Amino acid sequence: MIEFKQVNKFYGDFHVLKDINLTINQGEVVVVIGPSGSGKSTLLRCINHLETISDGILTVNEISVGDKKTDINKLRRNIGMVFQHFYLYPHKTVLENITLAPMKVLGLSEKEAKDTAKHYLAKVGILDKAESYPSQLSGGQQQRVAIARGLAMKPEIMLFDEPTSALDPEMIGEVLDVMKALAKEGMTMVVVTHEMGFAREVADRIVFMDEGRILEEAVPAEFYENPREERARLFLSRILNH
Amino acid sequence: MLDFSILTNNFDSFLEGLKITIISSLIALLSSFILGTLIAVMRIAPVKLLNWLGSVYIEFIRNIPVLVIVFFTYLSGNFGGMTAGTIGLTIYTAAFIAEAIRAGIMSVPKGQMEAARSTGLSYGQAMRMVILPQAIKIVIPPLGNQFINLVKNSSLLAVVAGGDLMYQGDLISAKTYITFDTYVFVALFYLILTIPLSLGVGFLEKRMAKSN
Ligand SMILES: Nc1ncnc2c1ncn2[C@@H]1O[C@H](COP(=O)(O)OP(=O)(O)OP(=O)(O)O)[C@@H](O)[C@H]1O
Ligand SMILES: [Mg+2]
Repeated sequence: MIEFKQVNKFYGDFHVLKDINLTINQGEVVVVIGPSGSGKSTLLRCINHLETISDGILTVNEISVGDKKTDINKLRRNIGMVFQHFYLYPHKTVLENITLAPMKVLGLSEKEAKDTAKHYLAKVGILDKAESYPSQLSGGQQQRVAIARGLAMKPEIMLFDEPTSALDPEMIGEVLDVMKALAKEGMTMVVVTHEMGFAREVADRIVFMDEGRILEEAVPAEFYENPREERARLFLSRILNH
Repeated sequence: MLDFSILTNNFDSFLEGLKITIISSLIALLSSFILGTLIAVMRIAPVKLLNWLGSVYIEFIRNIPVLVIVFFTYLSGNFGGMTAGTIGLTIYTAAFIAEAIRAGIMSVPKGQMEAARSTGLSYGQAMRMVILPQAIKIVIPPLGNQFINLVKNSSLLAVVAGGDLMYQGDLISAKTYITFDTYVFVALFYLILTIPLSLGVGFLEKRMAKSN
């Protein structure tokens, strides 16, 4: 479904992604971890073309992401993205945040879009906040709205870039629960997160990155109990001991 | 002592001038807002040629005296004084409004555009429906200041016989030979327009500061 073949990316002289080869199949949940600056966000953002790759091949559903002929807006309909800082539209209500793209991109009527939005709001457990503005919600609630906004486009793939890192500890659980439910329904997910409980419970694979390279790919149990790479070991001991 | 007969004898002329000054300023404000938004988006759109065109416009126009711009529009021969003056003011003010709007757009977090684009909205849609509505809020006080400048700059209509307040003053002083007093009244009429605007801008600025 998502395939990186020998992908490299540079920011000027800085080599941020090095020889990335990675295949993510339909229905898989892949968790990406690694030290700060290792290129996790960049990897994720290449998938929906928020960043362009410098060379190699990156395909989503066999369609080349960077290709000039690819209709990027069409590709993106199929890929939801959730950011660390939510980025809800502050001038729009929760409902309007969610209905905007289905109406403007998919051409749904307002009624259809609202029904869809409410369905997903119920799913993430905050239907009662439909008419609120983002500033009136807690961080956890905002992130759940952001997830609903992504889901309302009915994408096949969801990308998450540290979705719980900006949240107060007591709100992390509610967001992870929504993500777990999504994973169990068979959504294809690529998640940058250091939440080990989440990774152990739903990830099919852990991808460990360091300095722009994928150093290790393994199933969670194997990775957390017995990482092959010395650097993965070091990294794990650091996040475990803090 | 001020000669009030100038005011009473020429009251209709003053009112006519006031009307033209207001209409010209309002039209120029609206059109320079539209043109300025367009140029601001050109300056930051991900298309090099547009960036360049936008910059050229702004640099060019900001560095020419507005009087010269008004002259050029008038001398192009296609317009009467008021229209030429209003177009000239629009061309000039748009460059400043573009810069204010650009600053407003830049103050919206980059993630807003990325979030909107990642749902499949095009650049234009994301700009119109997500970014600009947020940017405009920040731009309202500077826009108010531009409007005040516009009202004052509209006195340049006088040099192309635009019929505005300043022009009426010119006519009245030529007729009565009481130059000083005439322009005192002209100044007072400008103040009637600009002081409420200025107070309004101050109020908006305070409210913005509070809401942040
Ligand atoms: N637009 C950019 N221009 C230049 N360098 C960049 C840019 N974006 C990211 N980088 C650099 O690329 C490297 C990888 O960044 P990236 O955000 O992908 O890391 P990350 O693994 O997500 O880190 P974190 O855990 O801190 O989010 C970092 O060293 C970063 O400074
Ligand atoms: Mg990151």
